[in-house]
Amino acid sequence: MAMVDVRDVRKVYRRGSEELPVLNGLSLKVNEGDFVALMGPSGSGKTTLLNLIAGIDRPTSGDVVVAGTNVARLSESDLASFRSHNVGFIFQFYNLIPVLSATENVELPLLLTNLSKAERRERAATALKVVGLADRATHYPRQLSGGQEQRVAIARAIVTDPKVLVADEPTGDLDSRSATEILDLIETLNREFKKTIVMVTHDPRAAHKAHTQYHLDKGVLTN
Amino acid sequence: MKFLPYLLKHLRRNWIRTLSTVLAMALCIFLFCTVQSVLAAVNSMLDATSANRLVTRHAVSLVFDLPLAYGARIQSVPGVKQVAISSWFGGSLPAKKEGKDQAAAEAGADSSTTDWSNFFPNMAVEAEPFLAMYPEYDIPEDQYRAFLQEQRGALIGRKLASKFGWKPGDRFHLESFIPDYRKSDGPFEFVVVGIFDAKEGYPSTDTNVMYFNFKYLYEGMGRRVNAGTFMVEIDDPEQAAVVGKAIDALFENSDAQTRTETEKAFAAGFISMAGNLALLLNGIGLAVAFTILLVTANTMSMAVRERRTEIAVLKTLGFSGGQVMGLVVAEALLLGLLGGAIGVGGSRAIMWALTSTPGLKDMLAGIGLSSLTLKPAVAALGLAVSLLLGFAAGFVPALGAYRSRITDMLRTV
Repeated sequence: MAMVDVRDVRKVYRRGSEELPVLNGLSLKVNEGDFVALMGPSGSGKTTLLNLIAGIDRPTSGDVVVAGTNVARLSESDLASFRSHNVGFIFQFYNLIPVLSATENVELPLLLTNLSKAERRERAATALKVVGLADRATHYPRQLSGGQEQRVAIARAIVTDPKVLVADEPTGDLDSRSATEILDLIETLNREFKKTIVMVTHDPRAAHKAHTQYHLDKGVLTN
Repeated sequence: MKFLPYLLKHLRRNWIRTLSTVLAMALCIFLFCTVQSVLAAVNSMLDATSANRLVTRHAVSLVFDLPLAYGARIQSVPGVKQVAISSWFGGSLPAKKEGKDQAAAEAGADSSTTDWSNFFPNMAVEAEPFLAMYPEYDIPEDQYRAFLQEQRGALIGRKLASKFGWKPGDRFHLESFIPDYRKSDGPFEFVVVGIFDAKEGYPSTDTNVMYFNFKYLYEGMGRRVNAGTFMVEIDDPEQAAVVGKAIDALFENSDAQTRTETEKAFAAGFISMAGNLALLLNGIGLAVAFTILLVTANTMSMAVRERRTEIAVLKTLGFSGGQVMGLVVAEALLLGLLGGAIGVGGSRAIMWALTSTPGLKDMLAGIGLSSLTLKPAVAALGLAVSLLLGFAAGFVPALGAYRSRITDMLRTV
């Protein structure tokens, strides 16, 4: 069963009267539990495709069906609700809230649920344990290394138990050792927790961790 | 409520900016509450005035007095019921000096031994016509007669009598700060002959005042004093403007031209001494509020600009535009509320200090502002204004956060 089904998607950005096509009739299927890497040169449309799958952007035309929902046709508020339930996003630069501790950062998506404070804390603690940072729960982002920050960001992405994880160059800001640890963690999430993962990367080593690699160029898949 | 810790953490993020914004807001609300309380006290004083009483004073200033002969001429104006001299004596109790005999200190009081902290309103009046104009005073009949008969008699309001513990038969001295009312042989001696209350139905009547016979002042100063003002009772309040004009027209070509106005206008002018006090104070308040609005709006705009990526992250995590907007507005409201609470507290503290500090409270009582206090309604209004300012300051940045696109904000470095 396809967890992600991108059908004939076009995405055109407009700058004044000028039109900049980024995705040109692209179609892609990602099955449930699959781990897919999107590769390609800068400007090829990798991140745009990832944003469409994550529901943080809309296609100009075509359909993007994720977990059975066509996100291209949802209203803004429904789209927000869809993201909170179905998608976990891992950023290149972690994007943790600096004034919140690791636990509070991980707990943030749970503020949108009806869970009690104790339940939220428990789930955040579990997520931190999964990423191996149970002992850093009270630390603030400035007190963590880049690799640890990205682990917290991954914990935040998985704390709501989403169906799909999207990662935009998750190792792009990390040293080699930290990058390996993060890739291993993502691989574990796919293998043991059966998460469907779509990852954008420039790093061939990272791409090799994925089950399938797709290459984009000028808005179309080349393989 | 589950978002409150999140909001508080953000406010602590740049605590210097938060503190300065909160203090600016506090200053604004402090001024608002204090100004409104002063205006309320002034209005309370003005409420005690009567529409059928006019005051005739020197056209140039209250500092100048009027010839006594004006009284009879004013009485002749059609529509005038009765006229009474009323002169502000400006007296204060002599100071009690440690280590000296009090009587000697009182007898020999000069400007250096006068205790101005015991300043209170005291007026020399033509007793019979003056008191006839004030139905709001409740004076026991025997005490009223004693006041008419005893030249040194002092009629004391209940509030003032309670303050000094005076009762009928007590004696005291008053020394005026007005040179024309200062005797070379020492202060004026008075005997308390009556204590009056405010009649029911006149809740605004101030009893923090003392009256004594103008004749005592006149004789005491060797018959060389004039009238400070003339109180004029008229038949018809509707005719106040016409009668006032007619009185002033009488003295148009004299050395001492007059200005006649209603007691309310006179009291307002006495309080402000220049222009429209309410307009002035409200103008200051509005200017300050507008400035604080700009300061807070700037703070919120900066806060939102700095957090563009974080707002994008929140939206990515599933926060809707409305929820993000709510968080920004809530943060601005929290700033407003904190500032408002400090401002209201500060205003309450200054009111307490003004009405409790010896000297200050007597000065306020001396100009009729003894009822100065921060009323709960004013405090609530102050908090409401602070919330309104917070909302107004936070709304536009919040709207920006609401409308912003995640992908645009994530591209911000």
